[in-house]
Amino acid sequence: MIENLILGFQTAFTPENIFWCFIGVFAGTVIGLLPGLGSTTGVAILIPLTLTLEPVTALIMLAGIYYGAQYGGTITSVLISTPGEAASVVTTLDGYKMARNGRAGAALSISAIGSFIAAIISLALLMALAPPLANLALQFGPVENLAIMILGLVIVVSFAGGAFSRGLMMAALGLLISTVGVATGFSSARFTFGNVDLLSGIPFVEVMIGLFAVGEVLHQIRVGAAAPIRTKFRDLMITRSELKRSVGPILRGSGVGFILGILPGAGSTLASFMSYGIEKRVSKNRDQFGKGAIEGVAAPESANNAAANANFVPTLALGIPGGGTTAVLLGAFTIYGLQPGPLLFETQPTLIWGLLVSFFIGNVLLLVLNLPLAPVFGQMLRIPYGYLYPIILLTSFVGAYAVSNNFFSVLIVFVFGIIGWIMKEVDLPMAPLVLGLVLGPLFEKSLVQTSAIGQGSFLVLFEHPISVVILVFAALLAAGPSLTRRLVARRHAKQADRENDKTPVAH
Amino acid sequence: MITARRAGLGASIVLAVIGIAAVLGGTGYGMFVDGGEVGPGFLPVFAGSLVALFAVLDVMGRLKRVPEHDPLKEVAGADEELAADLAAESDVDIFGRTQSQRTRMLAIVLGVLVATLALVQVLGFIPAFGLMLFVIAVFVERRKWLPSLLVTVVTCVVVYLIFVTFLRVPLPEGVFGGF
Repeated sequence: MIENLILGFQTAFTPENIFWCFIGVFAGTVIGLLPGLGSTTGVAILIPLTLTLEPVTALIMLAGIYYGAQYGGTITSVLISTPGEAASVVTTLDGYKMARNGRAGAALSISAIGSFIAAIISLALLMALAPPLANLALQFGPVENLAIMILGLVIVVSFAGGAFSRGLMMAALGLLISTVGVATGFSSARFTFGNVDLLSGIPFVEVMIGLFAVGEVLHQIRVGAAAPIRTKFRDLMITRSELKRSVGPILRGSGVGFILGILPGAGSTLASFMSYGIEKRVSKNRDQFGKGAIEGVAAPESANNAAANANFVPTLALGIPGGGTTAVLLGAFTIYGLQPGPLLFETQPTLIWGLLVSFFIGNVLLLVLNLPLAPVFGQMLRIPYGYLYPIILLTSFVGAYAVSNNFFSVLIVFVFGIIGWIMKEVDLPMAPLVLGLVLGPLFEKSLVQTSAIGQGSFLVLFEHPISVVILVFAALLAAGPSLTRRLVARRHAKQADRENDKTPVAH
Repeated sequence: MITARRAGLGASIVLAVIGIAAVLGGTGYGMFVDGGEVGPGFLPVFAGSLVALFAVLDVMGRLKRVPEHDPLKEVAGADEELAADLAAESDVDIFGRTQSQRTRMLAIVLGVLVATLALVQVLGFIPAFGLMLFVIAVFVERRKWLPSLLVTVVTCVVVYLIFVTFLRVPLPEGVFGGF
C-alpha cells in the first residue's frame, strides 16, 4: 500500500502531470458551469486533445475534467438556478434560495468545502477498496465476469431514470451496436452492409461525441435559454454557525455518495438526490429546506463528489463503468491500448496509482480555485449560448476527425448527434446505451467462454456460487424499485381508505 | 405538429423494426457453432429480440400514457413557492422566442450542418465550420455581425493552433490550401 502510494506520488508530482491535472480541473470547472455542457460531453470532446500525451497524463487530465465539473456545476445551480450538471440539479432548490437571500458566497464556499472533504474521504476509501476488489476479481472466471456485467447493466438500467423497460431496451441497443464489424473470435463481419469503414466497428468516442455533445446542443436549441438572474455577492464569508451546521450533512453526504457511487451504474445524480432527501428527514432545520438551508447545499454537493470518486472503484477494479462519464473514460483507456479491469492494478501500477494520487492534487487545486474564484467563474455565464453552441459543434466535429483522421468519424458524429437528440426528445436514457456499447465486446467474449464451459448451456451461471450471489443481487435491484413503489402505493391506498371511512358521507 | 408522444411512438416503432431486423440478420450469422458454443449470431439475436420486445412494450406503455415522473418536484414536495418556481418555466425563452420559432431554428441549424459537411471537401474543414459558426450566430441567433466575425476568427485560429499546429491532424484542405 505504502509503496503504491509512493509510486503514485512520484508519478503524479511531475511538473507535466501537475500541469495537465490543472488544465483538466480548470476545464472541468468551466465545462461543469456552462449549461448544456456536462462532464460526459466535456470528456468526450477533449479526448482527441490528449492523443499525443502519455496515457497516464491523458487520463489524469480527463479524470480532472470529470471531478472538476462536479465543482463547476454548483456555480450555475446557485447563481442562475440552472444546473450545469445533472448531479447539481437538487442544489438549485436551496442554493438558489440562498443566493436570493444574499448568501450566494456562503453557498458556493460550503459546496467547495463539502466537495473537498467528501473527495478526500472517498479517495481514501477508493484507495483502500479498489485493490482488494481487483484482487478478488482476478479470481473471477468468464462465468463470474458475465454475471458482473449483467449486474452492471441491471444497475445502470434501474437508476437511469424513467421506465425500466426503456433502459433495458437502450442497453440492448448498445450491445447490438457493439456487434457491428468484425468481432474478435469470429471471422465473419456483421452488419457492415459492404461498407469498409464499418469493418472495424462503430467507433466509440465518435458515438459519445455525437450523443452527448451534438445531441445535447440540438436539444438545447429547441428547449431555449432560461432567464439568468443576477446575484450580488454581498457576503462572501461563510459564518462559523453555518460551518457548524454543515459538518453533519457533509459527512452523511460523503457516506451516501460513496456507497451509491460504488454500485456500477448508480452515479452521482442519484447520490445527490438521496442525500438531500436524507438531510430533509434528519435535519434540525428541516423547516428551512427549500428556503435556503445551507444543509441542502452541503449534503448533495458532498454526495455527488464522493460518488464521482467512488465511481472509479468498479471502473478501475472491475472494468465496469459507474456512470456515463466513467464509461467514456473507459473508452479512453482502450484508445491508449489499455484493457480496463482488475489486471490493470498488476500490469500498470504506475498508471493506476499515479491517477489516484492525481485526484488528491486535483481536488486541492479545485478548492484553491473555487473558494476565491467562484464569482469570477460566474462571469463566464455571460457568454451567449448563441456563440457557444456553434463553437461546441465545431470542436465536436474537428475533435472527432482528429481521433482517426477519417471523414467517416465526422459522419458518425452527425448520425449519432441526431439519434442523441431524438433520444432526449422522446425520453430514452443514454447511459444504458453507452454502457451496452462499451461492455459489448467483453460481454460477447464472456458469453462465448461461458457457453464453452457449460458446453452450450448457460446454466453454469447458477453453478458458481459467486455468480449466483451476483445474479441474485442483480435480480433484487431490478425488482426493488417497482416492489417499493407497489408497497408505497398499497400503503397510500390503505390510508386513503381509512380516511374515506372517517369522512361522514353527506346526503 | 408532431407531439412528443407521437415522436416517442415513432421512435419505439423504428426500434422494434431494428430489433427484428437484427434477429433475422443474426440468425443468418449462426447462433451456435459446433459443440453448442455461442456463435457470431447469438448476441445480435439476443440483443435484437430484447430491443424488439421492449420497444413493443414501450409502444404499449406510451399509448397508455403514464404520468411523468419528476424527481425534482418530488423533493420540492409540498413547498408551494418552490413548486411555483418550477412551474414558472414558461414556453417563451429570454429572447421572447416561442416553441415553434425554436423548432424552426433547430431545422435551420440542421440544414446548415448538412451544408457544412458537404462544403468541407470544397472549402476545407476549418473554413467550412467557421462559416457555419458565423452563419448560425448572425442569421439564426441574430447576433451583431462584427462581434460574430470576431468570435469566428478567434475560434478558427485557436482550433487551427490546437489541432493542426499542435496535434498535427491532417484536416481536409479545400481551395484555400493550408488553412
